[in-house]
Amino acid sequence: MAHTVLICDDAIFMRSMVGDILQQAGFEVVGEAETGAQAVEKYKQLRPDLVTMDIVMPEMGGIEAVREITRFDPAAKVLMCSAMGQQALVVEAIQAGAKDFVVKPFQPSRVLEAVQRVLG
Amino acid sequence: MTFDAVRYAELFRTESREQLQTINRALLAMESGDGSVPAALAEVFRAVHTIKGMSATLGYQSLADFSHEMESTLDALRSGNARSTPALLDALFSCADALESALGSSTEHSTATDPMTDAITRLRAAAHAPPPLTSAPPLASAPHPFPLPPPPPLPVSPADPLVGPGVIVRVRQSAEAILPGVRAFLVVEKLRALGEVGAVWPPVEVLQTADTPQSFAVRLSTQASVEAIEAAARSAGDVEHVDVDVAARTRRASLATRALTGEETDREPTAPSAITRQVRLDPARLDTLVNLIGELVIARGRLLQLTATHTDPAVDETMQHAARLIGELQSEIMTIRMVPVGQVFDRFPRLVRDAARQLGKEVTFVIEGKEIELDRALLDEVGEPVVHLLRNAIDHGIEAPSVRSAMGKPRAGRLSLTASRDRVGVQIRVGDDGRGIDRQRVLMRARELGLIDESLEALDEEQLLRCIAQPGFSTADAVSDMSGRGVGLDAVWTRARALGGALSLHSVDGEGTVFTMRVPATLAIVRAVLARAGTERYALPLAHVRETLEYDEHSVQTVKGREVLVLRDEVLPLLYLRDVVLQSEHAGTTREIVVLEHGDRRSGLVVDELLGQQDYVVKPFDAAREGLAIFTGATILPDGAPALIVDVGSLVGSQ
Repeated sequence: MAHTVLICDDAIFMRSMVGDILQQAGFEVVGEAETGAQAVEKYKQLRPDLVTMDIVMPEMGGIEAVREITRFDPAAKVLMCSAMGQQALVVEAIQAGAKDFVVKPFQPSRVLEAVQRVLG
Repeated sequence: MTFDAVRYAELFRTESREQLQTINRALLAMESGDGSVPAALAEVFRAVHTIKGMSATLGYQSLADFSHEMESTLDALRSGNARSTPALLDALFSCADALESALGSSTEHSTATDPMTDAITRLRAAAHAPPPLTSAPPLASAPHPFPLPPPPPLPVSPADPLVGPGVIVRVRQSAEAILPGVRAFLVVEKLRALGEVGAVWPPVEVLQTADTPQSFAVRLSTQASVEAIEAAARSAGDVEHVDVDVAARTRRASLATRALTGEETDREPTAPSAITRQVRLDPARLDTLVNLIGELVIARGRLLQLTATHTDPAVDETMQHAARLIGELQSEIMTIRMVPVGQVFDRFPRLVRDAARQLGKEVTFVIEGKEIELDRALLDEVGEPVVHLLRNAIDHGIEAPSVRSAMGKPRAGRLSLTASRDRVGVQIRVGDDGRGIDRQRVLMRARELGLIDESLEALDEEQLLRCIAQPGFSTADAVSDMSGRGVGLDAVWTRARALGGALSLHSVDGEGTVFTMRVPATLAIVRAVLARAGTERYALPLAHVRETLEYDEHSVQTVKGREVLVLRDEVLPLLYLRDVVLQSEHAGTTREIVVLEHGDRRSGLVVDELLGQQDYVVKPFDAAREGLAIFTGATILPDGAPALIVDVGSLVGSQ
């Protein structure tokens, strides 16, 4: 069965792009979230195999969301989506429980490599 | 790019425009002291960050660099104790402007513009950010237009932290590692999961900020096998080489390995929940869908005609049922295309603010009815005319603060933009409480230009509008660079008419002016009366048809050499559709009159034959370019023949 993914980003643009890359690789996108709060709620509800998480989002940021998700499910597999210049934040996210990260601009091959590492 | 670049470029434009509105909204709030400064800065930061991510993805490098610079400065600001100063606000507003103009034209190859460089320089200055380290002109053909300070140098006094218990894991990152510092940190974290990390060299705090691929070493106390250690290090990604030096492994038992599992989690089985999914729809598909439903509506009309004479009640009943379903389908599909006017209106507060500042006016701007919905295609069209009306109001309507005070009015003028539904569509009103239009001056100017009859003593509102909407008509004493010369109002009028709508005004001397633009809620389908002139058929939009009558010799009279229709106690100018459309041949059939109305004006239109009313699907075409300014579009009739849709505004207006 295809792996299920929850995509969290406040920009439709980014959600589409990550979604397209993962869907083409055979993943099933089961949900999308626009805020950290939504991400936590949807994680609890959907229990996806993988979460892709933007760092900067309204309401609750990505790092706080990772913390909440990992608290709820220590085995959660969260892949951070970061931008250049966010080193410190990505480090913080990893400390909060994120398993790996990709950097925008996304290259599909890099995203898929990271996903394989996280799920492997 | 392996993805659909065009679709993403489109998504990018839509979304970055929204982000830009967010930025402007936040800046306006900051300026008016609405809410906290850090909250506003955080919002601007978020929006800029999103734009940065999207533009970097599309390879719009100059835009990505610019938003990156803006973001860095904002980040410093929001984490400090930034205060809202006029200089900072101005710098931020000019950044927003530079962003806006760059968004429109960005491509992979565009370079940073002067406004971008200026804006960044101002923002840095206002935020007391350090100036760029290079002294060269910032836009000399350097590949990176906004030079960043170099990373801090690594400390050069190594003690030997790697001496001690455990194995030494040496890792070399691959050359293409992105954010290598963070990647290295991840390696350390993966190793940490196997045992205890004694030391890292270079120190982890330095390592994690590195921006070039690193070679580093980790001392690890673990009972894991060499293979497991290697695998763990590699699982962090971008690792080119791993070397596990076991010689250093001590005989001492390593400290207890960390438990990898936490406490039992309460994974209660949950029922598969209903997932609300958003569907993204290609606008072109939606247009096709709208066209198809339009054709279906036409076919329904035709079928209803055909079955009307049918005597079988079963057929009749089924037809009625199908007709109702088609109606529901139509309204559902049309709803998909509807968007709230707020989407366009939300960018106006910024525009009003700027115009008011530029003109030295004080303006309180109020928007009402943001939730009113319009067809997406139409909404794009009404934005520009509304901007003209707003600028006109600020420039010509609202008086200077000192003048207003002297007149006993509040210093700040009130400008309102209101959307509401009416019988046939949507009304958009732009109202101000300014000086009103000086009818006497307009009258004199109109006489000079020969626009009106010399004998006319006063202008009613319809005539007033007609005069000031003449291209080049102006009574402004000083020509401002915004909306003097009367340019704009004729454009507004033309646009409103082209959309099948109308423009009207209500002005009271000293109290203000209200312009009302009426537009249909959708452009896709028009309910119209079909009429024949000669061999051709024409559609007259029902929104402008007041009634239809039989042609009666007694009610048609000649006044001052012109034929008029006397209807109850009204005298209406009479037109012949045949003349209007230049159909020369005469077919001696029954003649009927359609009473058309547009704004306050009415005319009687003589047609050869009325063929009933129905919904028609509008196929837009550029009538003006084809030299056929009296048509707004075309439609295909149920029998497959084309028919033109008459622009009642220009027909009645030409009288």
